[in-house]
Amino acid sequence: MSEKLLELKNITMKFGGVTALSEVNLHVSKGEIAALIGPNGAGKTTVFNVVTGVYKPTSGEVNFVGQSVVGKKRYQVTKMGIARTFQNIRLFGESTALENVVTGADVHSKSGVVGAIFGTPRSRREEAAALERGMELLEFMGLKHRAGQLGKNLPYGDQRRLEIARALATNPQLLLLDEPAAGFNPAEKVALAATIRKIRDAGYTVLLIEHDMSLIMDISDRVAVLDFGQKIADDVPKVVQNDPRVIEAYLGAPADAS
Amino acid sequence: MDFALLHDAFWGLTFDGLALGAIYALISLGYTLVYGVLRLINFAHSEVFMIGTFSALVASGIMGVKVEDDPRTGWNMIFTLLICLVAAMLASGITAVLVEIVAYRRLRQRGATKLATLISAIGVSISLVELFRIITDSLPREFPRIMDKTFLFSYAGADIRNDKVIVIIAAGLMMFALERFISKSRYGKGIRAVSMDENTATLMGVNINKVITVTFLAGGLMAGAAAFFYILVYENTSFKVGFFLGISAFTAAVLGGIGNLKGALFGGFVLGILETYTSAVFGTAWKAVISFLILVLVLLIKPTGLFGESIQQARV
Amino acid sequence: MADKKNRYNIRDHAATYWENSPKWRRVSMSIAFIAFFYALPFLNNPLVNTPGSDFQSVLFYPVGMYVLMAIGLNIVVGKSGLLDLGYVAFFAIGAYTMAILGTHTALNFWEILPIGIALSMVAGVLLGTPTLRLRGDYLAIVTLGFGEIVRIVAVNIEAIGGPRGIAGIPTPPDLFKAKFTILDPKPYYWVLLTFTLLVIWMVRRMAARRPGRAWDAIRQDDDVAQLMGVNTLKYKVWAFVLGAAVAGAGGVLYASQILSIVPDQFNLNVSILILACVVFGGIGNLWGVILGAALLAFTPERIRFLSQPRILVFGIALVVMMNLRPDGILPKKKREHFDPNWKSVEESGEGEIK
Repeated sequence: MSEKLLELKNITMKFGGVTALSEVNLHVSKGEIAALIGPNGAGKTTVFNVVTGVYKPTSGEVNFVGQSVVGKKRYQVTKMGIARTFQNIRLFGESTALENVVTGADVHSKSGVVGAIFGTPRSRREEAAALERGMELLEFMGLKHRAGQLGKNLPYGDQRRLEIARALATNPQLLLLDEPAAGFNPAEKVALAATIRKIRDAGYTVLLIEHDMSLIMDISDRVAVLDFGQKIADDVPKVVQNDPRVIEAYLGAPADAS
Repeated sequence: MDFALLHDAFWGLTFDGLALGAIYALISLGYTLVYGVLRLINFAHSEVFMIGTFSALVASGIMGVKVEDDPRTGWNMIFTLLICLVAAMLASGITAVLVEIVAYRRLRQRGATKLATLISAIGVSISLVELFRIITDSLPREFPRIMDKTFLFSYAGADIRNDKVIVIIAAGLMMFALERFISKSRYGKGIRAVSMDENTATLMGVNINKVITVTFLAGGLMAGAAAFFYILVYENTSFKVGFFLGISAFTAAVLGGIGNLKGALFGGFVLGILETYTSAVFGTAWKAVISFLILVLVLLIKPTGLFGESIQQARV
Repeated sequence: MADKKNRYNIRDHAATYWENSPKWRRVSMSIAFIAFFYALPFLNNPLVNTPGSDFQSVLFYPVGMYVLMAIGLNIVVGKSGLLDLGYVAFFAIGAYTMAILGTHTALNFWEILPIGIALSMVAGVLLGTPTLRLRGDYLAIVTLGFGEIVRIVAVNIEAIGGPRGIAGIPTPPDLFKAKFTILDPKPYYWVLLTFTLLVIWMVRRMAARRPGRAWDAIRQDDDVAQLMGVNTLKYKVWAFVLGAAVAGAGGVLYASQILSIVPDQFNLNVSILILACVVFGGIGNLWGVILGAALLAFTPERIRFLSQPRILVFGIALVVMMNLRPDGILPKKKREHFDPNWKSVEESGEGEIK
């Protein structure tokens, strides 16, 4: 396929005596929707944490558009173009929906405290741009009417959508979604699938963790499977679906079939 | 600066430092226990200690000891000392439990913020200090000498004084008892469970309120013992006594790794010895400055303290 | 919840009124409000007079000074959620700068002011950069230690007066016919009020812009803030430094009014008291903090007739208050907007992103 946006080489992650990831190789190509699946505790979220700089891998390399991510501060990784959502929703609950999104959009602003105090032209311009970008994204995610409401007061589904909007606001090249459909009903899942496609069509690359197989098979271009910290399959959905090792991994610990 | 003094009196200073460190360690246990369970700095703990010193003083008065008397001897002395120790421990223990009820309980049950709880504890602390300032008319109080202080023996130029030996040994015993209590008793296990994960502990049937009360009680008893030892060695107290010892003891707890009992002990002794050394070299005036610099250095190099926090959770 | 919503809420009504007011009404209301505070020293009547010192003095110190410092500390504690227990250190640095330069050089108050502010900010950077990486509770103890260290250092250095401190600090030169003398605290109060208004204006600007959002994010979830691209250390240090600057300015002014300073004026109790003002009033809410500071500074002066037990009463009041209203008198409350066209971003058919 096309060029590799993100590439993990031989990533091993140990916590004390526990090996969460063992020699994992993984890549995401530009413009695709890739999925990462596997039974609970397989190390999927750990991959996200390694990629976003939360954990420093015990060994191995993470490259993003040719640059190493390892050792970078979290905010620098975000600035490089990787954004994520969280398995357990972690919005800024005391801030409004718009503020949540604009916080993400601030990444690429250059003005800071001094600009804000003196109201420099650049600061004004960037504030306006960030607000506009925030509103745009809220509208894109169908949350425009929620702009002035506090994060904690939004309904569950809107909270999940707001997390995606906030991540998109950082203008990422790669969007990491950690179980975006968790707790959704079938109709909401269909809508979410459409949204993810729309995000991809807008030029973003997506890597998502999901438990819902039909959603995965529906939207992803490629599926990687983790089991006990090891990658056991990585191919187009059709092939992965029939891979005996994948079936075995899931029979041992069936996924949430909701 | 006087490095010669440090060199000449090294073992004597080390010994004095151990005695001071034992007192710090006992107080810091209270900070570390409460921090382990509530994740809060018990700001009023220094006053729990202060009340202990005054209770020992009152107990000695009730026992008929007077400042101008000769020190007591034999069983009479041992009995008087024990009464004073028990009085200090009881008073501090009860104060600690009351502090929890007045300053913490309601706020905890309402899910108030950390800061609100802190201010509430600070309020209790201010009230207690002021109460004792008014009672004592802002004057320091002398503690009568119950026990004759003699040098037991000399080692490498250090004169080993009996009261300090008693303090070190007795403090060691106290800590051992606490260690046993935490690791073996039902409540001790409850304290450990809540320290690790409050929610799970509740689900497993641990009565949080009781555990917290016992935690404060245990910390208070230790602070009371420390108060008695302090007054035995230094023979005076004032309403301000808690403040200075409290800061040092808290530093000791952080130094060792807050929430970690062994860390508190270790931090207490290390700080006691270091403070004694630095007082000898730079003069007592700079003692606090140096302890502070040590603390900042330790935190920068190893943010979880020398022994690490016992309870760490992976974030994100 | 339901009954709370139905209750008549003077604050909501006031806020709605303000939001619905046209610009001319807001401006004239602000002017009236500010004018009232400039005229406050002339409100010398028995109700507000305090035993021991007259209302005008009390208005400058402690009331005005506490309000200024509480607003400064609120940037640190309220906005970014960093617990600073040694705030007095920056106040002391400002005061000592004024005292040392004022007695040893020919510089006057207005020339020393920026130096004092700058030195406080430098101290803020030096203390903040290493310690703000640490977790919150450690920050509390390190700042507490720092506050005490500054005082102890001042006590132990003979060159700056040791425990006796510094006397003979010059008063500021005359300004617009206002004479700064020991006998008349009014000009000092006006300068202080001007500082305070400036700081309020600055804080409000920042709160509505990028720094405010960064601080909100840091306070609520430091980890997520980082992952959303907020350089958390940078913004924490900024909060710390801005707080330091406010206290430093307060310190310079204080020293020039009181004329002699001793290290013991800058003890831990001041830090604690300022923090209490912030939490008592309603942490994070500017108006609450101002009200809290004014009340906590004024009450002990007003009840000075209780003389001995007044601090005891103060301590008990803190406990009772926190038990009854843990979020303060005027808790921080964000008003929600349900208007879909809020901030009136232009309607654009179907949402598209670039």
